[in-house]
Amino acid sequence: MSIQYKSLTELKTMLNNNEISNTELIKETFSLIKSNAELNAFITLNEEESMNKANKLDNSPISESLAGIPIAQKDLFCTKDLKTTCGSNMLSNFIPPYSATVIKNLENAGCISVGKTNMDEFAMGSSNETSFYGNVQNPWGKNLVPGGSSGGAAAAVAAGIVPAASGTDTGGSIRQPASLCGITGIKPTYGRISRWGMIAFASSLDQAGPMARTAEDCALLLNEMCSHDDKDTTSLNEDVPNFLENLNSPIKGLKIGLVKEFDLSKLDNEVVKVFEESKKHYESLGAEFIEISLPNISLSVPTYYVVAPAECSSNLSRFDGVKFGKRCENPKNLEELYIKTRSEGFGDEVKRRILIGSYVLSAGFYDAYYKKAQQVRRLIKNDFDSAFKNVDIIMSPTTRGAAFEAGSKGDDPIQMYLEDLFTIPANLAGLPAISIPNGIIDNKPIGLQLIGNFLDESSLLQAAHNFQISTDWHLKTPTGIKS
Amino acid sequence: MDKKTVSTIAYLSRLSINEDNEEKITKDLENIIKFVDQLNAADTENIEPLASPLEKTAKTRSDNISAKNRKEVFLERSPKSNEDYFLVPRVVE
Repeated sequence: MSIQYKSLTELKTMLNNNEISNTELIKETFSLIKSNAELNAFITLNEEESMNKANKLDNSPISESLAGIPIAQKDLFCTKDLKTTCGSNMLSNFIPPYSATVIKNLENAGCISVGKTNMDEFAMGSSNETSFYGNVQNPWGKNLVPGGSSGGAAAAVAAGIVPAASGTDTGGSIRQPASLCGITGIKPTYGRISRWGMIAFASSLDQAGPMARTAEDCALLLNEMCSHDDKDTTSLNEDVPNFLENLNSPIKGLKIGLVKEFDLSKLDNEVVKVFEESKKHYESLGAEFIEISLPNISLSVPTYYVVAPAECSSNLSRFDGVKFGKRCENPKNLEELYIKTRSEGFGDEVKRRILIGSYVLSAGFYDAYYKKAQQVRRLIKNDFDSAFKNVDIIMSPTTRGAAFEAGSKGDDPIQMYLEDLFTIPANLAGLPAISIPNGIIDNKPIGLQLIGNFLDESSLLQAAHNFQISTDWHLKTPTGIKS
Repeated sequence: MDKKTVSTIAYLSRLSINEDNEEKITKDLENIIKFVDQLNAADTENIEPLASPLEKTAKTRSDNISAKNRKEVFLERSPKSNEDYFLVPRVVE
């Protein structure tokens, strides 16, 4: 029986009923990875260890909730003794001596980490075109980008190779590729999942989360990924609810906010049509729509492009060629060692963001840019706080359109930055947000975004699950993928 | 944004910019800065900056040593080290 396109929940049942052994499942997974190598979704495979683990599970079964489930880990999470590049030449030789807390949590729940997925370099990009290891192909079309930065993760799930993948989301890096590849992905509340062992990009925005075929699978994964962690000072010390508990409760009376300032008339007719249909569907499920105003929301992207580069320039100063990672050849002195190592090790987009960060943090500009952006960030958060007094969740398209062709955004970085128009606000405010497939345009999938109040992932997952048990957009699969 | 500013921030970032790229980078940075200048439209008087979405005070813990000394494990990953130190080109002549 083929495992391709099976959800995590389905694979769990197959394993429990002995329809497939752990070893067969992992063997089949690697066979799918290899026959679809042209997607370039993986940077490093973990075949030997995965087979050993599966073997062990067959010999002595365990009852953990995700026992034997193959999962693809974004190459941004440190994995003990397994190369971790973050999509960069800078870390092309880096083998971490420890695993990230979230990786440990997943593996303690029985998951098998089959490999590390391709991504935009240091998670800076929205199309997976900035990876040192080459573009990832969207399973829905040869020249289409999968989105980014968790592009390899989204492509691997969309091609039915793995039922689930870990991702990270700083400005939309889980939700935007989920939308462009036709899968489900959730960024939980900032602080829900430990950042320890995640290679930092922008520390006040970075958050890990699951990517899978369904909201139900995301709930199952979140149950294991979330935890308080003493090693991360921004880790939330809050009880983690059972995210599966309310999934099936009907959503009659759910108040959904529509943002007045999101001008959908600027989007393609087809995108608007898909959105309107989802709205009608939610109405048929008993949801009520309320117009809300987020007056400062239009400043989200400019705010992000001050805050994120500032934090990035500071975080990436650790890559100096001294302690780990790449070092240039024959430096004449210490300064040349730093400059040559960093100039050779980083790609163009990463350099651009470091330079912007250094500029907005430099003497004379700090108040005008960095402080100003942090003030606007508070205004945006206050807007959400007021809106959530009247609604339970907020709904918008996830992306401005379906997947675009590689190279089609030209060389103007701002065009690419605007790709995250709808996703960035949730990161700035630290709110949970999910993307679910809600339509197909020209044979390309597109997603719907739901944003929740602080700590209220449960409402998002419930609304998403209710949508998925009454529609079949999440079950659509691309053609031309090898079995 | 001019070439001199770009070369200053490149030095602050410990990055070198090659000449073929200098013009393009200067133009890109200028456009990005123009783009973020939209922030000036917001009235932020008396607004406290928000550095993190979690404003709760960081949790304190008792001051016990919990980490083990794993010096060898970390030195092993350095491009150049001896048994005690990371090695870099001589700094003091």
